[in-house]
Amino acid sequence: MEEELALSDQGSDAGSEEVLTPAELISKLEEAWLNEKFAPELLESKSEIVECVMEQLNHMEQNLQRARQGDLKISFHHMEIERIRFMLSSYLRSRLHKIEKFFPHVLEKEKSRGEDDPSLLSPEEFAFAKEYMTNTETLLKSVALRHMPPNLQTVELLKCVPKPNLDSFVFLKVKKAQESILVEPETDEQSEYTIDMAAGSQHLIRYRTIAPLVASGAVNLI
Amino acid sequence: MEAAEVEFLAEKQLVTVIPNFSLDKVYLIGGDLGPFNPGLPVQVPLWLAVNLKQRQKCRIVPPEWMDVGKLEEIRDNERREETFTQMPNPHYMELAKLLLNHASDNIPKADEIRTLVKDMWDTRIAKLRLSADSFVREQEAHAKLDNLTLMEINTIGTFLTESLNHMYKLRTSLQYSEDGPSQEH
Repeated sequence: MEEELALSDQGSDAGSEEVLTPAELISKLEEAWLNEKFAPELLESKSEIVECVMEQLNHMEQNLQRARQGDLKISFHHMEIERIRFMLSSYLRSRLHKIEKFFPHVLEKEKSRGEDDPSLLSPEEFAFAKEYMTNTETLLKSVALRHMPPNLQTVELLKCVPKPNLDSFVFLKVKKAQESILVEPETDEQSEYTIDMAAGSQHLIRYRTIAPLVASGAVNLI
Repeated sequence: MEAAEVEFLAEKQLVTVIPNFSLDKVYLIGGDLGPFNPGLPVQVPLWLAVNLKQRQKCRIVPPEWMDVGKLEEIRDNERREETFTQMPNPHYMELAKLLLNHASDNIPKADEIRTLVKDMWDTRIAKLRLSADSFVREQEAHAKLDNLTLMEINTIGTFLTESLNHMYKLRTSLQYSEDGPSQEH
């Protein structure tokens, strides 16, 4: 019983490049979840983390099925699984929400990315976005466009769907100290200035200014 | 983010419980717990502590700072200073709320602590409103928010950022209209 439930070290090697303990994996998921929740645009897909967490959950659930029911220990595990699953679904849900909201821009960005750039969408999300795009176009055509005069029958989705507002303010907590972040002035009378961000400090600032830092993991959105 | 989600994050915090059952080490995905022995204090995450308490399987040891004397000092300090002082725990509000709701019988002078934490919260939120007001009025582009807890940021967060975005939109469209009439709003 003890052996069955013990998460041996082989489980932690599931990550392909870096070796993470399951606990580190969960905190990575939490980070990705919060960043995704607060960033105005769709962030880089973390499908590796998602896959590893799914693997952990399935592994644990299989173990639990073999275990005796009604045990105190089993209920601990079930509660933890529920908590992790909540985070995972909330993460995926907020991504889907953004894909639905910005689909033409998301697809455009995915199309224009270079070979070596990290993918914005997981394969499943990409399929979803494409299907969503096709369905929206079909809907618009069958409901309205085909009844329009011929010169008004096309619609540029890229122009009609609002872009993510990169200028919106976000709250962040600094993980790795940063120096000389350029803060652009709000009004013409003010002049631009630079700030230093100490590790552990918290700031309110425009997303555009710190977007690269979110992508590199130097700051976390809160 | 919703307050319940901030609470969810706070539930990761470790608290000490004194179990009344025995159980070997439990290997959770997020780390090991236990072993549990009756009468011996052990650290568990808050979500588990509250659950065990609800099933009457443990007694919760209140965190060191959850003490009338210490909290009075923190409250007075908070009232004296103009800036935000450091809180004893980044999730003090959620911890206090959960522990006082579920384990008030394990916390000495629970009612007084409830009032003190509420006082601290009110003082801080009042300060937060003031600084948000001046942030908006001065049209600042950056603010440092040290010592603010997640729950406090979250209380004002969505409202503040949304209003800043609206004001930004209004301001930029004003600038456009000076250049020419091409604008949507």
